[in-house]
Amino acid sequence: MGTTKELLIVYPSMQRVFLKESVNVMLTPQFYTLRKETLPVKYAYQAKKIAPSLFDGLLEESDSYEYMVFKEDEQWVFIAYDLEYIGSFLASKGIERSMVSKIFFAQQVVDKFSAPLALGEKEALVMLDDSMVVVPLAALGEEESPTLKFDKTFTPQKGVSLQGDLGSFLTKRQAYALSGVLLLFAALFVAEGLRYDSGENGEEELQSLYEAYPALQSSYTREEVLNKYRNIDTQERKKRDGVKKLSNLIFKGVTLTKLTVTDSKYKADFTCVSTAVSKKLELLAKKENLKTSKIKNSHNLIIEGAL
Amino acid sequence: MSWKQYQNELIALAALLIMLFSYMYKHNQVTSHGEHAKTVQNSIEELKEVVVLKKIWADKKTSKRIEVLKTFVPTSKVKWSKKSKKLTASYTDLGANELNKLTTKVLNLPVMITLLDVTKSGSNYNVELKCKW
Repeated sequence: MGTTKELLIVYPSMQRVFLKESVNVMLTPQFYTLRKETLPVKYAYQAKKIAPSLFDGLLEESDSYEYMVFKEDEQWVFIAYDLEYIGSFLASKGIERSMVSKIFFAQQVVDKFSAPLALGEKEALVMLDDSMVVVPLAALGEEESPTLKFDKTFTPQKGVSLQGDLGSFLTKRQAYALSGVLLLFAALFVAEGLRYDSGENGEEELQSLYEAYPALQSSYTREEVLNKYRNIDTQERKKRDGVKKLSNLIFKGVTLTKLTVTDSKYKADFTCVSTAVSKKLELLAKKENLKTSKIKNSHNLIIEGAL
Repeated sequence: MSWKQYQNELIALAALLIMLFSYMYKHNQVTSHGEHAKTVQNSIEELKEVVVLKKIWADKKTSKRIEVLKTFVPTSKVKWSKKSKKLTASYTDLGANELNKLTTKVLNLPVMITLLDVTKSGSNYNVELKCKW
């Protein structure tokens, strides 16, 4: 990945550049703070956790630093860098963030600096005690001439993305945390959705009923049968309720002389001993919402109800 | 400016979209499950109702049970005609108690009453009953 793009060495005194395509950038030690420690940890993520404490007092407190950690022989190498500062510097040299693919640190390829590398006309990047340092060209000896040719073969495997953090509203950590929470919700929704797929919904009961009554499996048949028997049930209950209502109207002084129940109505003729009884019967019948009619020249009443 | 500049936002946006799709999936599942469960429940209730109603109104024992309408009074008072699933019965000179018994029995039997005609004759009653099942 890193070897496909040009690698540009970046140092404070460099000239402004004009880029046509994105590049990888290698930073000289002026852009980062280096520490090497022998620590009893096995993995880089463990070392990275303690990185901020290692740089206590070495970095400006106001700056927001990030850390790169890798192993060099038996030692852990810690690099602290400020992406905001780096981004601003690159922009001041005509290197927009969008043109920077990855950022690397000279310390990452310390072994490749077999000779000094000239940084402009006055400085050189050299390896000193396994660390990269910038020294004045004048300080180099005659046999230490800056002959090293710098190209994309210096590109390390692991780099830092500049765009991800500085060009966006969210830091990488925020983005991952937010994404984590959202994905957790997504997983919960999917799990809940799947639960409904396999959930109990009465299918078993329905199947057992179908097995017991195979003729009723079709909803049309069911509906037809149901309508038929519902009508019968309703109609017959009304007839029986009607007869009960009429029988409730019989009290002292009232005699039933005729009762008729057909498919459309129920009707009863009552003989009453007096006008008072007749009136009382009429009142009771009206309470039951029954139609009443008097028989002329008598206290008798005809009471009927429709089905 | 390139998309890479906003790759963090894009990551969060992708996660948000996944969450939204997941929510829609869950919502659809809940809705469709609810509808399906409702349909199944309706079918169960319908089936049970059919079974109960058939048990009442299409009971094969009704033919036998209806015989009670013939036996509770002396045979001289009954004119009985039962054909297939239809009954026509005429009762004469029933006392008030007998009439009460008859009506109670008729009303408690799962039969469709097509005609129940009670007429007072003196102190007794004549009854004409037509029913089917």
